[in-house]
Amino acid sequence: MSKIIDYPSASDELLVLNAQKGDTRAFEELVARHRDKLYARAFSMVRNEDEAVDLSQEAWVKGWQRLKQFQGEASFLTWMTRIVINLCLDHLRKQKRLRTDSIEQLDEDSGGVERLLPVVTTNPTEGLERAELRERIDRALDQLSYAHRTVLVLHEFERLEYKEVAKRMGCSIGTVMSRLFYARRKMAGLLAGLREGRKP
Amino acid sequence: MNPETQLKLQAWLDGELPPDEVPAVARLAETDRDAAALVAELRHTMAALANNELERPLPESREFFWSKVERGILAGERLATGRSRPLGLSSWLRFLAPAGIVAALAIVLFTPIFGVHRGANLAALEEIESPLADVSLTTFRSESEQMTVVWVNLH
Repeated sequence: MSKIIDYPSASDELLVLNAQKGDTRAFEELVARHRDKLYARAFSMVRNEDEAVDLSQEAWVKGWQRLKQFQGEASFLTWMTRIVINLCLDHLRKQKRLRTDSIEQLDEDSGGVERLLPVVTTNPTEGLERAELRERIDRALDQLSYAHRTVLVLHEFERLEYKEVAKRMGCSIGTVMSRLFYARRKMAGLLAGLREGRKP
Repeated sequence: MNPETQLKLQAWLDGELPPDEVPAVARLAETDRDAAALVAELRHTMAALANNELERPLPESREFFWSKVERGILAGERLATGRSRPLGLSSWLRFLAPAGIVAALAIVLFTPIFGVHRGANLAALEEIESPLADVSLTTFRSESEQMTVVWVNLH
């Protein structure tokens, strides 16, 4: 006889075990718990509400289909986040948003312009309330290109190493380092409000 | 400071610099004013970004979002079941239906032409549509061109 589960209070591990046996109610609870985080990750990459909803939904369907492959090496949320990231990267590739074919973009990749920018000597975020800081960071992220934002999201928010970012984005480690450098310098300028009047 | 040095300083902060290069880069960050300023800026940016991603709730209710996920799951399962199921009677019917229709058409079309005298009430044969649900079929007969065209549409 199977145990009766109190879904809202059950741990992720227990819910995953039950979902792996075909319990959709357990999976529904996992979706309810982590849907905001997955959506936020998708949004941070594609910057479009409808696309982010669709991609996070697709990630949950794929998660269910591949659930038997989940062995618990990482947390369930980390595993699901990797799925949504891969879907977002595929989506951006299909839309050619990750391409860097303009002269300006190539210059950004090599860090040409940003290397000449004056260094921000003061901490641009000092004294800011956390909510305000988060808003400001989000607005600044919006001004980066898809390629630079993606590197920043994967490295800073997902804590992936250079080689892992390079593998996922299909580029060299050198490109990742250049893009990350550019993205950070630009973020510093944007957060400090130094970019006013300049073309993003 | 050249671009290579700048990227090395960044890699040092990220803990991704090869161990044998760490002492030299750390020394540079301490002694060189430009390097120190760049390191400070990168540190500030990294600290600002850490744990400060904007929280963004999904703009759909729990029930509505789950209903969409559930539909996707069921659609995927139907697709997987359809792929793995062995050929049953319905599958054979899908293959045989077009052949049966073509055979029936041949009888219908050629019997009046060769059995009865030409031109007798052929207007009735100008368009025939199949009543079968899965297969739609349309024919057109042109007496002037002495030609019959048959469209078989397998869904």
